[in-house]
Amino acid sequence: MLHIKPIINTLMRSKSGPILLLIQIILSVAIVANASFIIGERLALMDRESGTVEEEVFDFRLYAFDSSIDIESQSLRDMRAIRELPGVIDATTTSMVPLSGGGWSSGYTIGSSEKTAKDTESAAIYYGDDHMVNTFGVDLIEGRNFYETEILTGSPDLATHAIVSKAFAKATWGDESAIGQIMYAGDWGDKPLQVIGVVDKLQGAWVNSSYLDNSVILNVRLVNVFTKVLVRAEVGTLAQLKEAIPAVLHKDQPNRVIEGFTLISEHRKRVYRNHELMATVLSMMVILLLLITSLGLAGMVMFNIERRTKQIGTRRALGAKRRDIISLFLVENYIICIVGGIIGGLVAVQLGQQLMTLYSLPKLELIYPIVTIAGLMVLTTIAVILPARKAASISPATATRSV
Amino acid sequence: MLSMKSISKVFKTDLVETHALRDFNLEVKEGEFVAVTGPSGSGKTTFLNIAGLLEGFTHGDYFLDGVNISNLSDNKSAAIRNEKIGFIFQGFNLIPDLNLAENIEVPLRYRGFNAKERKRRVQHALEQVGLAARMKHLPSQLSGGQQQRVAIARALAGEPRFLLADEPTGNLDSMMARQVMELLEDINKAGTTIIMVTHDPELARRAQRNIQIVDGQVCDFTMYQGGGYQGAEKPHLVAGAASGLDKSSDDSKQTQRVAS
Repeated sequence: MLHIKPIINTLMRSKSGPILLLIQIILSVAIVANASFIIGERLALMDRESGTVEEEVFDFRLYAFDSSIDIESQSLRDMRAIRELPGVIDATTTSMVPLSGGGWSSGYTIGSSEKTAKDTESAAIYYGDDHMVNTFGVDLIEGRNFYETEILTGSPDLATHAIVSKAFAKATWGDESAIGQIMYAGDWGDKPLQVIGVVDKLQGAWVNSSYLDNSVILNVRLVNVFTKVLVRAEVGTLAQLKEAIPAVLHKDQPNRVIEGFTLISEHRKRVYRNHELMATVLSMMVILLLLITSLGLAGMVMFNIERRTKQIGTRRALGAKRRDIISLFLVENYIICIVGGIIGGLVAVQLGQQLMTLYSLPKLELIYPIVTIAGLMVLTTIAVILPARKAASISPATATRSV
Repeated sequence: MLSMKSISKVFKTDLVETHALRDFNLEVKEGEFVAVTGPSGSGKTTFLNIAGLLEGFTHGDYFLDGVNISNLSDNKSAAIRNEKIGFIFQGFNLIPDLNLAENIEVPLRYRGFNAKERKRRVQHALEQVGLAARMKHLPSQLSGGQQQRVAIARALAGEPRFLLADEPTGNLDSMMARQVMELLEDINKAGTTIIMVTHDPELARRAQRNIQIVDGQVCDFTMYQGGGYQGAEKPHLVAGAASGLDKSSDDSKQTQRVAS
C-alpha cells in the first residue's frame, strides 16, 4: 500500500523540512542538469576524431641555419633517410600539424562563371606531397592520391591539385561529387585548383573553429629554412626515433637544429586541456552537489525517524509490516524528489536559456534534466533505504513506552 | 479466546538477566472485561506487549483464537495485530500530522480496504465515539478525552476480536476518564473482549475480572459482576494461574470474589 494521499497531507501540514529539501533538490537538478550538459558538450568536443592515426604520427621542426644548404635537395634526402629508419611507416614535410593550434587556413572561390562565383567555407591548408595521405593515415574515400610527378616544390602559389576532406566537399558541393571540381585560391579564375581526391576525415589545427573538419591538401612541397616534418611510425618507437632521426639527419648535414617530436595525441591533450579542466571541475561539482543532496535526504529521513519513533512503533502496532514503513519513507521522499525534480527541470531549462544567451552555449537538451531527475530518484532510493530499514526495525512495543 | 501457558520473558544484558514475566498463565474468555493491575515494574506492560504481539516471549505457549502464535513471522504478527487486536494507548498515540479520519484510516489501509470501505468504517467508528462531526480536525485541536475517544474509534474501526488498553485513562482528568471508561464498558457490552492495564483501582473495580501481577506472575485475581466493587478491602496475594471463570471457581489456591 502506497498511502500517497495521507503522505501528501502530512507533508503539507509540516512544511518546513520538506520545503528546505525541495529547494535543495530544485537547485541541484537545475545546476546538475546544466553542468552535465556542459560536461557532455566538452566531452563530445574532445571525442572528435582528427582522422589521423594520432598515436603513430608525430611532428618535429627542422631549422637549417646554414645558408649554403640547398634546402630543396636536402629535404628530399632527409625524407628518404627518415623513411628508411626502422619503425618508420612514412614521412612528409608539412605546412601544419593537426590539433596543434597553429597553421594555415583560407577560403576558396568556386562557380562556373565569374557571375555565379561564391566563396567556400574556410578550410585548413596542408601543403604536402604524395606521402602525406599515408603519413596521416587518413582514408581516401573517393578519387586518388597525388602522383609523385604532380608534386611541385617551392611556394604555396604553385599548387594545382587538391585533396579535400569529406566535410569540406559536402559543404562546398553538397551531394555532387567533388572529384574534378575546380576551386580558385584567389578571385574567380585566379590560381585554379582541381580536386582529385576526398579523404574521409582530416581536422585542422584549431579545435574551437567551427570549420575544424574542413581541410585541403595541396600538391606543394614548401621550401623554407624552417621545415615541419610529419613522421608516421609504429606505436612505441617514438623514443628511439627521437635519437635516430637527429643522428641520421646530422650525419648528412650537421648544421641544423632539430626539435619537437610531439605525437598528435599529445597535441590533442594540450589543445583540449581547458576543456578537460572544465569537465573535471564541473564533474566534481556535480558529484559534490549530488552527495550533499543525498546527505540532505538521508539526514532528513534520520531526523524524521528520531522524531517519529513512537509514531513508527504505533504504526507497527496497528498492523504495518516492515515494508510498509520502508515504503512510507520512500514514497514521502519520492514525492519531494519528483516535485523538486519537475520544478528543478523547469528552472534548469530557464537557466540553460540564460547561459545560451550570455555565453553562447548550445541549447540545453531536455534529456539532461530528465536523466538528472531519474538519477536523483535512484539517489533518493539509496539515501533513504538504509535509514528507512532502520526505521522498519523499530519494535511495535515502542508504542506502549512512555517516552 | 486468549490463553497464555507458562509464559516467561527474560531481558538479558551482559551483566543482568531480568525476568519480566515468569511462569505466567492466563485465560481470557470471549466477551470478558479484564483489568490488569500491579505495581510499577511488575510486568504489566510486558504482559500487554506479549498479549498484543508487540513483542515476543522467551518460553511458553500463547494461543489466540485457538491458534498458537508462539513462533509467528513478523509479517504474520503484523497481520494478526491488524485484524484481531485493537490498541488503546495511554498517550493516545494519534499521528499529529493526520486528521481524525486519516488517523482512523491508518490500520484500515494496512488491511487493504478500499476507499469506500474505509470511509464507511471511519464514519461508523467516529459515530460510536460521538466525534463524527470533527473528522477533519487534527488531534491537536481536541481535548485529551476526545483524543482518546478517537484512539478508541481507531481501535474499533478494524472490528477487532479484543481490545488491549494500556492505562487508557492515565492521561485524563477524572471526568474525561469516566467518559472513556463508560465508552469502554459500552463496547464490552456490545461483545468486544477488553483487557485493560491500569493503575487506578476505581477503574479496575468496574471490570468483570481483576488480575494482579506482581514480580512477573499473576498473584491474585478478583472477580466482579455487574461492574461494581464487591470484594474484600485487601486482596490476597497468591501465586499461580488466573484462568477463566469456570476453571478459577474450582481452584482452591485462588481467591475469588463473586458478586451476589
